[in-house]
Amino acid sequence: MIAFWILSLLMIASAVFVVTAKQPVHSVVGLLVNFIALAAMYLTLQAEFLAVMQIVVYSGAILILFVFVIALLSSGTKPFNVGPDRAPRILIPAVVAAVLTLAGITVTALRTPVTAIQTTATNGTTGDANAFGSVANFGAALFTTYLLPFEITAFILMVAVIGVVLIAGDEGPAGLSRRKPKRNIQREPILRRVDKVGR
Amino acid sequence: MLLYLVWLLPLIGAVVLWAFGPQLKSWAGPIGSALIATSLAATLFLWSEATAPHGLHVPLVSWLAGWDFGLQLDRLSLIWTLIITGVGFVIHVYSIGYMDGDRAFARFFAYMNFFVFAMLTLVLSDNVVGLLVGWGLVGLASYFLIGFWFYKPTAVSAARKAFVMNVVGDVAIMFSVFLIVSRIGAIGYDRIFAQVPLSFGPHDLFLICLGLFIGCAAKSAQIPLHTWLPDAMEGPTPVSALIHAATMVTAGVYLIARFAPLWSGSPDAQELTGVIGALTAIAGAILGCAQWDIKRILAYSTMSQIGYMIMGVGVGAYDAGVFHFLTHAFFKAQLFLGAGIVIHALADEQDVRRMGGLRKTLPFAFVAMGTGVLAISGVPGFSGFFSKDAVVYGALETGHPWLYAIGVITAGITAYYMFRLLFVTFFGAYRGQVDPSDLGIRHPELAGTAATASSSGHHPEEEEPHHHAPSWLMSGPVAILILPTIVIGWLDFGGNAPWKQFFGGFFPPTKFPPLPIEGTWPPISEALSTALVFVVVVIGFAVAYLRYGVSAAQRDAIARLRTETIRMPGVLVNAFYFDAAYEALLVRPAHALGRWFYRVVDPHVIDAGVREVPISAQWLGHLFRSFQTGLVRAYALTIAVGVVCFVAYYAFAFTGAGR
Amino acid sequence: MSVAPENYVGLSAVLFFIGVVGVIARRNPLIMLMSIELLFNASNLALVTYARAWVDNVGHIFAFLVITVAAAEAAIALAIVVVTFRSRHFVDVDEVSVLKG
Repeated sequence: MIAFWILSLLMIASAVFVVTAKQPVHSVVGLLVNFIALAAMYLTLQAEFLAVMQIVVYSGAILILFVFVIALLSSGTKPFNVGPDRAPRILIPAVVAAVLTLAGITVTALRTPVTAIQTTATNGTTGDANAFGSVANFGAALFTTYLLPFEITAFILMVAVIGVVLIAGDEGPAGLSRRKPKRNIQREPILRRVDKVGR
Repeated sequence: MLLYLVWLLPLIGAVVLWAFGPQLKSWAGPIGSALIATSLAATLFLWSEATAPHGLHVPLVSWLAGWDFGLQLDRLSLIWTLIITGVGFVIHVYSIGYMDGDRAFARFFAYMNFFVFAMLTLVLSDNVVGLLVGWGLVGLASYFLIGFWFYKPTAVSAARKAFVMNVVGDVAIMFSVFLIVSRIGAIGYDRIFAQVPLSFGPHDLFLICLGLFIGCAAKSAQIPLHTWLPDAMEGPTPVSALIHAATMVTAGVYLIARFAPLWSGSPDAQELTGVIGALTAIAGAILGCAQWDIKRILAYSTMSQIGYMIMGVGVGAYDAGVFHFLTHAFFKAQLFLGAGIVIHALADEQDVRRMGGLRKTLPFAFVAMGTGVLAISGVPGFSGFFSKDAVVYGALETGHPWLYAIGVITAGITAYYMFRLLFVTFFGAYRGQVDPSDLGIRHPELAGTAATASSSGHHPEEEEPHHHAPSWLMSGPVAILILPTIVIGWLDFGGNAPWKQFFGGFFPPTKFPPLPIEGTWPPISEALSTALVFVVVVIGFAVAYLRYGVSAAQRDAIARLRTETIRMPGVLVNAFYFDAAYEALLVRPAHALGRWFYRVVDPHVIDAGVREVPISAQWLGHLFRSFQTGLVRAYALTIAVGVVCFVAYYAFAFTGAGR
Repeated sequence: MSVAPENYVGLSAVLFFIGVVGVIARRNPLIMLMSIELLFNASNLALVTYARAWVDNVGHIFAFLVITVAAAEAAIALAIVVVTFRSRHFVDVDEVSVLKG
């Protein structure tokens, strides 16, 4: 009970920190804290396997990916160069939309009947390795009833790998260079903003 | 079947002459005439079958349920068919001579054949829709023929006027057809008449007859739709003879006679028809007294005589009306053809004030027109005498004393103006060399004189010296017509007359009972009525003789004619102001409406609509373009808005039945 | 469950809210992507909550799939970011508005 409130506080604070940090590296750290808190939250919900998955995949792999990209793009210790803010007043409608979303989700949740909340024993109390949320239970479900989604997941990951290689690779199979030549970035790209429509 | 041949030969002729006119040139005349003669012969072959009790019936095509088209040749349509093909043939031959040298010789015969085909469609149909089709085609043929010399603006507007008025009648008949079909569900005559009066409500018959009668009024030039007929004289004289004297304008009479069961079932319709017929008769006669154009005099006399016929069949004296049609076809055709000889001989002079004394120079024309005048006036022994008596007495018999009186008076007026025509044209001295203004003619070109050279399609080099005798092509047909003009009336003479044998059984009194009348009726016998009419005719003749025929009148002709022209009452000159009324009530508002559309609706409504389409497309495009900012964040916001919509749906669509 | 599921879902909603604002209001592409990860996690939380509430494995499986897909998506998105901003001196999504119509 207390765990829930502490963890929720932690999660919200870290999320706000992620969104408002000036430096991306700071955001990554905030995100890390968020993920760990979330893993703990999963544990309170008896989703043991998912908690571990969360840590391993999310904070272990994805965040590292973020860090590497930040390193790739950063030009040292200086903050990133940014142009002028071209949609200065977009915050208000954004907040409005987000608040409406929040209200909608909450209303939906409140209208969902939870009369059927069942209690289930945990692995810890009974020592049964097949209790709900355990690895064995999860694995049994994954490889029998939900085998197709699992296979498709594998497929998705393969596609992602191929896509990344294609998008960001330097050279193609025939040895042709795909690196773009250095441009004069002071030059505006194709369209000039000559009329007032949309701005 | 032979009946198909009768019907279709003129159409084939029309198509062939239309298509190959320029190649055929002067062969067109004989070809057209021969085809009509063949139709006539075929009709005569069918005589015995047609006079069988139910006539000859040939089905054509079945379309919708109850819409069976076919041809029928019973006694009524036989009479009309014989007149159409017979008189038509005669006039075709006459036209070969009259239209000789015209630029569009072949086209004329194509149109004439087309007209015969259309008229045959009208009378040979066994259903009301076929009649309506023929009705419209006849109007079209009339338009073609009146406007034959289309480079004359007067001819063109006359043709248009005739056509538009006929269309008014067409629409009225159409509404009657709608009523009939809605009540009966079929269009064949036999099926319609079998249901009278069962399937028709109390007012249905009157409304149907009203619609049909408006059509008759338009086609047969009855008041108030008569104004096109005098103007229709712009067409060539054979045209006036055939379609504006003998056949097309009698289509109304045919219609009423054909729909006799309906008329007999609606006394109100009979009253209306009789009254209008009588009014037209007397109005036409009065106006005929005020005309100076020879063809217009005949036109108004046609209008008047058809008024007689309509009155006859309207009040229920069907055989009398049809018999008058029979006699009228002959003598009116003869009058027109004779007038055509005069006109042709005088190089297209049509004003009688500039004629005179033609008795000596054109004796044959004098004999022809003389017989015609005697017939139309109802001089005893000539054909018109018998038929006119039958008509007016029929009006009296069926209980319409006022109509009878009007008919009798009209007979006198008819005698007056027809003899006036005869005296002014053929007696006295020739006035062709007199200056028109001395005769009181203020607008020579309007009065039908030949002062302008463009008044006809004859080439200038074709203008013969005056008073040339007509060729045999023109005098032959007229000679042929003289005999029936005199003799045909005798068909109805006597109690056991051939006419009564032929046609009397067509309208048996049992099927068409006369209205009951109290007291002894008719108040005067037929013999007495005949005598009364004779007296009136003599009075009319006497007045005409005194005004125009005595030698004093003939000596002073020029001065008298001028006086009469100047003193002619405006009412008569303007034909009772019908034309002026139509002009003010219909023509001007229509023009104003057209101008309003031109100035207001077209630029501000229609063009504006067309202009606004691309403008609004542009505006819409601009609107959508404003969404394409290129900013990722703006797109992200759009997605967020979409998410809101989704969430809102799930929040409110499900009552949370869940698990 | 000692804590009612509405609490968990409320928390998930708040996280979702923060994530949405973060995606729209920040200009650095990397931070936008991190906000998107927040959105994923918020929905995962809701899924797992109801999996526990109704003792059904499908929530867990679905959350598992979401994690996998998020990983793949993060990889590809980062690859795109790298390619786009490799040769530019600024890291700002407002500057890549080539799709402006």
